[in-house]
Amino acid sequence: MYNKVTDDVVKKLVAICGEKYVTTSEPLRHSYMARGIMGLEAVLPEAIIRPANADEVSRVLVMANEHLIPVTPAAGGLSGGFALPAIEPGGIYMDMTRMNGLEVDVENRVMVVEPGLKSGDAWRIFKTKYPEWAPPIPDGAPPAATVLGDAIERGFSLVTGVYGPQADMIMGLEVVLPTGDVLRTGSWAVPGAKPFYRWGPGPNPDGLFLGSQGSMGIITKAAIKIVPHPHFKTVVAYGGESFEDIVKPTWEVSKHELGIADRCVMVQGGNWQLVLTRWPKTNVPLDYEFYKKMGMSEYWMNYEIWAWSQEELDFTLKKIDEIYKAYEVKANTKCPQQYLHPKQIASRLKKPNKIAIPYALWEAGFLFITWYCPWLESANMMEQYCAKMEEYGFPPTMWVASIDHGRQAIVMPIVCFDSTKPGIYDKIREFNLETTKSFLKQGWLNYRPDPFVHAPETFSLAKDYYKMLVKFRKVLDPNLILHPGRLAIPWEAVTKLPNPCGEPKASESKVSKPTKPQVKK
Amino acid sequence: MTSTLEDLRMINARCIHCRACQYAYSGEPDREGQTEEYTGMIQGCPAGLYYGWEGYFNSGKQWIARAFLNNEIKPSKELLEVVEACTTCGNCETQCENRIDTVSVTEALRAAIIEAGIEPLAKHKKFGEMVGNDLLRNPYNEPREKRTDWFAGAKDRKDVKVAYFVGCTGAYRQQHIAKHTASLLKKLGIDFTVLTSEVCCGSPMLRTGQKAIFEDVMRKNIELFKNYETVVFSCAGCFKTFRNDYPRISGKPLPFKVQHTMELVRDNIRSGKLKITKPYSKTVTWHDPCHSIRHVGIAIEKDILSRSNNWLTDARTAEKAKEAWFELPREVMKAIPALQLKEMYRVKGDSFCCGAGGGVKAQFPDMALATAKERLKEAASTGAQVLLTSCPFCVTNLSDGIKALKEEEALSHKKLPGSDLEVVELLQLLDQLI
Ligand SMILES: Cc1cc2nc3c(=O)[nH]c(=O)nc-3n(C[C@H](O)[C@H](O)[C@H](O)COP(=O)(O)OP(=O)(O)OC[C@H]3O[C@@H](n4cnc5c(N)ncnc54)[C@H](O)[C@@H]3O)c2cc1C
Ligand code: SF4
Ligand code: SF4
Repeated sequence: MYNKVTDDVVKKLVAICGEKYVTTSEPLRHSYMARGIMGLEAVLPEAIIRPANADEVSRVLVMANEHLIPVTPAAGGLSGGFALPAIEPGGIYMDMTRMNGLEVDVENRVMVVEPGLKSGDAWRIFKTKYPEWAPPIPDGAPPAATVLGDAIERGFSLVTGVYGPQADMIMGLEVVLPTGDVLRTGSWAVPGAKPFYRWGPGPNPDGLFLGSQGSMGIITKAAIKIVPHPHFKTVVAYGGESFEDIVKPTWEVSKHELGIADRCVMVQGGNWQLVLTRWPKTNVPLDYEFYKKMGMSEYWMNYEIWAWSQEELDFTLKKIDEIYKAYEVKANTKCPQQYLHPKQIASRLKKPNKIAIPYALWEAGFLFITWYCPWLESANMMEQYCAKMEEYGFPPTMWVASIDHGRQAIVMPIVCFDSTKPGIYDKIREFNLETTKSFLKQGWLNYRPDPFVHAPETFSLAKDYYKMLVKFRKVLDPNLILHPGRLAIPWEAVTKLPNPCGEPKASESKVSKPTKPQVKK
Repeated sequence: MTSTLEDLRMINARCIHCRACQYAYSGEPDREGQTEEYTGMIQGCPAGLYYGWEGYFNSGKQWIARAFLNNEIKPSKELLEVVEACTTCGNCETQCENRIDTVSVTEALRAAIIEAGIEPLAKHKKFGEMVGNDLLRNPYNEPREKRTDWFAGAKDRKDVKVAYFVGCTGAYRQQHIAKHTASLLKKLGIDFTVLTSEVCCGSPMLRTGQKAIFEDVMRKNIELFKNYETVVFSCAGCFKTFRNDYPRISGKPLPFKVQHTMELVRDNIRSGKLKITKPYSKTVTWHDPCHSIRHVGIAIEKDILSRSNNWLTDARTAEKAKEAWFELPREVMKAIPALQLKEMYRVKGDSFCCGAGGGVKAQFPDMALATAKERLKEAASTGAQVLLTSCPFCVTNLSDGIKALKEEEALSHKKLPGSDLEVVELLQLLDQLI
C-alpha cells in the first residue's frame, strides 16, 4: 500500500535537506540496522536523511505524503529494531541526530531538548554548568540514548522511582504532524508562553505522541522537567529468598510516598542471573553456589538514595533497615543487607552507564521485554516469566524497578540468545507470544509494544481503544505514512488476527491514491 | 586463530548497536576535564566525526559486516569505500562492553570484500603492488637493496641475540628515527644487528584487506628473524603487527620475543641502570600512538581473559595489566629531568587518533588532515609547547596538520590552536638526552 522511494523522491529530499544529508547508499542504509534490544524485527530503509530543523522535517513529511512514502524517525536508535521501519517498503529513515539543542531554564526547572541530544552530552553539560540540577536521562541506557527518545518511549529515568515514567516529566511538545503542520502543546501552545503548564489551554494531546513510538508525529522539541541534584548519594541493597521478598519490603518503603520514599530515586532489583549473564557462559561459574559464597542473595533490591545532607542519608538508610528487619520477622524470611564494594556503589551511581550492554556476551544478542503491572503483582509476574524462560531454554534473567513510589512495576526479562543460531528469532517470538497472551489475561501491559506480537495481541482485547487510536491516527496522518506497522496500524501489515475495527473495505485495504492532506505551506 | 570474517561471525553477532563505541570515555560521564569541551564523554571516532553517517562509525560498520556475512549486501566499491575510511585506531574497541574485536572485524570485512573480487582502492592497491614486488618490498617504491643503507654498523650478524626490525618508514623516509634508535640501543648496551633482507611488516596490507600479500611478508619475516632471541622495534605499527597480528593470523606463537625500544628504556630506568641527567625544560603533551599503546594494551587484557575460565573475577586483573601498559611512555617521560607533562583529555585507551592509520592517510587525505587538526586542538588546550609521540605516522600526520594550520592562518590572519606546537619523536629525544 505504500510506494517505493524513487529517484524523483531522492531529488526532492536533496532539495530539502541538502546533498550532504541525504543518502541511498546501500552500505550506509545497512549501517542503521539493529535486531535486538527492544525489537527484533526491522526492515531496511530505502533512503536516510538527516534534517537540520523542524521546517525541513515538515517539508519532508509533506513530500512523503504526496508520494505515499513511509517515514520512520529515529533519535539515538538505542531501542534497536523499534527505531527502524517495521514493514516493507522501508521508505525514508529520518536520523534526527543533527538536531541536538539544549536550553536550560533553572528558574522554571525545565529544559528544552531537541531529539538528537544524547544522555551523555546532557549529563556533561549539566555537570559543568548546572551541577545543582540533573536531567532525567534514562537510568541504565548507554550514553548515546537521547533524552527525548526515552520520553517518547515512556521509559524509566534515573529518578523514575519518585517521578514516574519518563513521559510524566514532559511539560510541552513541539510536534511536526505527518501532514507537515507544527503543533505545540501545553502552555507552549500560546505564542511567547513558557512551557510551565503541561495541560495547556485545553485538552492536552501529549499522550498521543508519547508511547506512539514515532507513529503520530515527529517531535522536534520537548520541554522536560529537570530535577534537583543533591550530592549526598548512596546505594543500599537487600537480598531475599524469593521475588516476594524483594517486592513486599519495597512496597513498605514506598507506600508513604513522602519522606524516605521520596529519597529513593531509583529502586531496582532482580535475581542473581542478572550478574551471571553479563559474562560469556563459557567463562563464568554457572552454579549459584559460587555467587552465594560471594555473599550474593538469589534475589535482591537496590535503593539509590539522594539526600541533602549526611544526616538525611543516614536517617533514610536506618529507616529502610528497620522496615526490612520488621519484614523479616513478619514474613519469617531472611533479607540480608548485601555487601556492596565502594566501586560497586560508584558504578551504580554513574549515569549514564554501560551496565546493561554486556548481556550479549553470554551468547550473542539480547532482548529487553518491558511490562508494567501493579507493584505487588510483580513477584508473581517474575515467577511466571522465569519459569517460561527456562522452559524455552533461556537463562531466567529478570530485572524489576519501582515506578512512582511502587505504584507500578516495570518488569523486564533480559532474553539472552545466540543471534547466529538458525530459528532463534522464531523461538523468541513464540516465547513472546505465549507470555503475552497469558499476561494480558492477567491484566498486565506491555508498554513498549512490539508491532508483531504485543500490539496486535493487546488491541485484539482492547478493541475500542484500538478503534479510537485508529481514528486519531487518521486525523493526524490520513495516509498513515508515519512509522507504519507501529501500534499495529495498519493492522493487516503486521498481523493475520481479526481487525478490531472490522474487515477493511476493499477501498481501504489498498490505498492507491494518496489523500491530499491539508498540508502546511 | 580468528582471522577471516566468517571466524569472527559469533563475535560480530554480539553487537547490539548501542553506539557506545562512538565516544571516548563512554563509560565515564562524570570524568573531570579542564574545560566544558573536554569533560565527560566526548566524540572519539575520527571516521564518524568526519563523515557523520552511521556507517562510518564502528557501530554502523558492525552491522554492515553482519549484512555482508548474511549475504544481505553485495560486495562493491561503494561498500569498500565506506569500510576503508577508518583509521583502525581501536577507540571503538576500548569502549565496547561486549568485547567485540572491532578492528579485526573491520579488517576482515575489508579482506572479504577484496577476496570477493572487488579491487583494493587505488592508493591501497599501489601499496600492495609495491610490497608484493620482490625488488621493492616496501610501500615507498624504494629499491630493496637500499633498505639498510642508513645503518653504518655490521648487518646480518648471526652472533647476536637481538635484531632491530626497522620498518619501511624508518628505512626510507625517517632515517633519523632509525639512526637515533640504533644509537639509543647502543647506549643501552644492546648488541644488535639489522637485516638486509627485512621486508615490510605488512601492516598496511593487513589494515587495507590485502591479506594474501600480508601473509606472504609475515611468513618471510618470521622465517628471517626466527633465530634471534629478541626483535626490537621503533615503529609503533610494525611492533603491533608483529606482536598482535602475526600470532593471531599465523595461528602460532612467535619464535622470538618482541619489544619496543621504549620498553627497553623503561626497563633500564626501572632497574637503575639508566639515569637520564640532561634536562628537557619544556612543557610537553603526549600523544598515545594507537598501535603501540592502545592496541597492545587491549591485546594484553584479551590475552589474560582468553586464559581465564572466570571473567567475573579475572576481568579486573586483566584491566589492570592493560592500564599498566598504558603507563609505559609516562614512566619514561617522568624520568626526564625538567620535562613537564601536561596530559591531553583523551589519553591511553580513550586517546584520539592522529588520523593517519588504516590506509587513511593515502586514500582519504582530507579525513586524515581533519583528524590531525582535531588532535592538535586538544594538544594546544593543554598549553604545551611540544607534542611528544613515538610513531612515524603520527609524527608525519600531526606535522602535516601543523603545516595546514599555518597555511590557514596565513589566509585568514587568525590564530589557530595547535599551529605553534612542535612535534617530537620520543626515541629521538631520548637519544639526544642520554
Ligand atoms: C543497554 C541498554 C540499556 C537500556 N536501559 C534503559 C533504561 O534504563 N531506561 C529506559 O527507559 N530505556 C533503556 N533502554 C532503552 C533505550 O535506550 C531507550 O528506549 C532510549 O532512551 C531510546 O532513546 P533513543 O534516542 O535511542 O530513541 P530511538 O531508539 O531512536 O527511538 C525510540 C522510538 O521513538 C521514535 N522516535 C525517535 N525520535 C523521534 C522523534 N523525534 N519523534 C517521534 N518519534 C521518534 C523511534 O521511531 C522509536 O520508535 C536501554 C537500551 C539499551 C541498549
Ligand atoms: S561494537 Fe560494541 S559498543 Fe559498538 S555498538 Fe556494538 S555492542 Fe555497542
Ligand atoms: S577504529 Fe577508530 S576510526 Fe575506525 S571505527 Fe573505530 S574509532 Fe572509528
